[in-house]
Amino acid sequence: MRIERGKPEGDCGIGKEQAMIRFLKYMKGYLRVRVWGFSPERFMNLCSNKGILLWDIVREGDVYYMNITLKGFWEIRPIAKKTGTRVAILERYGLPFFLPRLLKRKMFVLGLVLAVVFWTVSSFFIWDINLNGNYQITDDVLQDFLKGNQVRIGMRRDDLDIQELEKQIRRQFPQITWASVRLDGTKLLIDIKENDAPIATREHAVDEKHSMGGAQDATGTDLVAEYNGRVVSIIVRSGVPKVAIGDTVEKGTVMVEGKVPVYNEDATVREYSYVDADADIVLEHASEFTASLPFDHTEKRYTGREKSSHYIKLGDRSWALPENRPFLVYDSVIKESRPLMLERLSVPAFWGTVTYREYQNVEYKYTAEEAKVHLNQKLMDFLAELEEKGVQIIEKDVKIETGNDVWVLKGQFLVQEPVGASVRTERIEVEKTEENE
Amino acid sequence: MRRNNDRIQRNEERKESLIDSLRFPKDICMGAMKVTLTGNREAWIENYRGLLEYTESHILLQGRTCQVCFEGARLSIDYYTNEDMKISGCISCVRYL
Repeated sequence: MRIERGKPEGDCGIGKEQAMIRFLKYMKGYLRVRVWGFSPERFMNLCSNKGILLWDIVREGDVYYMNITLKGFWEIRPIAKKTGTRVAILERYGLPFFLPRLLKRKMFVLGLVLAVVFWTVSSFFIWDINLNGNYQITDDVLQDFLKGNQVRIGMRRDDLDIQELEKQIRRQFPQITWASVRLDGTKLLIDIKENDAPIATREHAVDEKHSMGGAQDATGTDLVAEYNGRVVSIIVRSGVPKVAIGDTVEKGTVMVEGKVPVYNEDATVREYSYVDADADIVLEHASEFTASLPFDHTEKRYTGREKSSHYIKLGDRSWALPENRPFLVYDSVIKESRPLMLERLSVPAFWGTVTYREYQNVEYKYTAEEAKVHLNQKLMDFLAELEEKGVQIIEKDVKIETGNDVWVLKGQFLVQEPVGASVRTERIEVEKTEENE
Repeated sequence: MRRNNDRIQRNEERKESLIDSLRFPKDICMGAMKVTLTGNREAWIENYRGLLEYTESHILLQGRTCQVCFEGARLSIDYYTNEDMKISGCISCVRYL
């Protein structure tokens, strides 16, 4: 049986070990020494007996060169005396020799210490706030809200109560269904999920609040017509349809009821189960659009003269060169940017340019052609909006007329539009039910 | 004298067979030197007492029971501790004295 101690070099695993040993040697410091005299071999034997590591021993003539640890070197004197050898230091290696030389450079050390202090201190603060997932609620609104809650850039990290902030966000904005606040280094990350379910649920919530404890289960909504018109198609997913294709309905008519009757064997109603009515209903109805354009209007005519001023912003504070009214009438464009490096480090430093553009107000009268173009543009916008809602236009009748100092565009359309507004179902208690239950 | 020597020899053999049957490491129990050669470039030695002679052409080591002499050219000691040592260079001969 063999006992495996450190294996000789050549194994794969040794490389790392060797590097580690070399690193340790460097950390502890070592010397290259020259040994000569009466019996260097005995010197080496005594060294190894005392546990002093020697390596890279080379003999040249009568002189031995070897490496010795710094700690070992302090214990060498009696050995050298005993063996009649002399030891001379040739070179010094390692951190214990390098460090004092480094420390002599006072400014360097000071800078190092200051840098460490700076980074440590600045890591106690929040340097960036990241908002994520807000679509309906704008960044500005959220930022104002945060400011109102004493959450600012540059605040202490300890002052932030993350759970409280999450709660506050959900309380303040009912449409936010999920909020997560977390700290990533010096960055405050706020993730939000907004409610994208139909508005009905929101009405629901309000209703519920108003009539606390009115109904045990909150479900039960009807679909109600929003226009007077004719039903073109109806596909019901849940609820009881009250209209058929071809029926004319008036505004407010219940088209699909969320009250589903459950019958007894003798065809009497035993109870009602309430559901949220859900259906695709297309209603054909007439729609109107008018747009007007006054004959004269003022137009901005840029003179082409521009002035720009620069500013630097740090957090909420900004410094700009004082600039008094550059022109009599002007508007301004602000361009703000942040150096990439600072963005990566989340340092709230920006620079920006404000460009002032002079313009003159010019009274202007539209010609018939121009008016037509403008009004048509408005019409196109309206139609595009309809299309977005899924409205189909069946008939179209558009006229442009001149009124009192205005051009008027009048359009009449016959459209097919998906409709259905949710309204709470009226509850009818069937007395029998209670007996049954 | 000869009988005495025989007895020592017999004792040694008995000891060796005992160690063998118990599967103890021989290098430790018998105080034998352990030499590992890698080609003719490197020698790794364990379980020795000390260094007797060191020149570029030969290195003489003292073991517990015997001496070992490495002969060759450009011999150098990579490291030297109480437990093990490594010799590198061009080894041409290993002799037990």
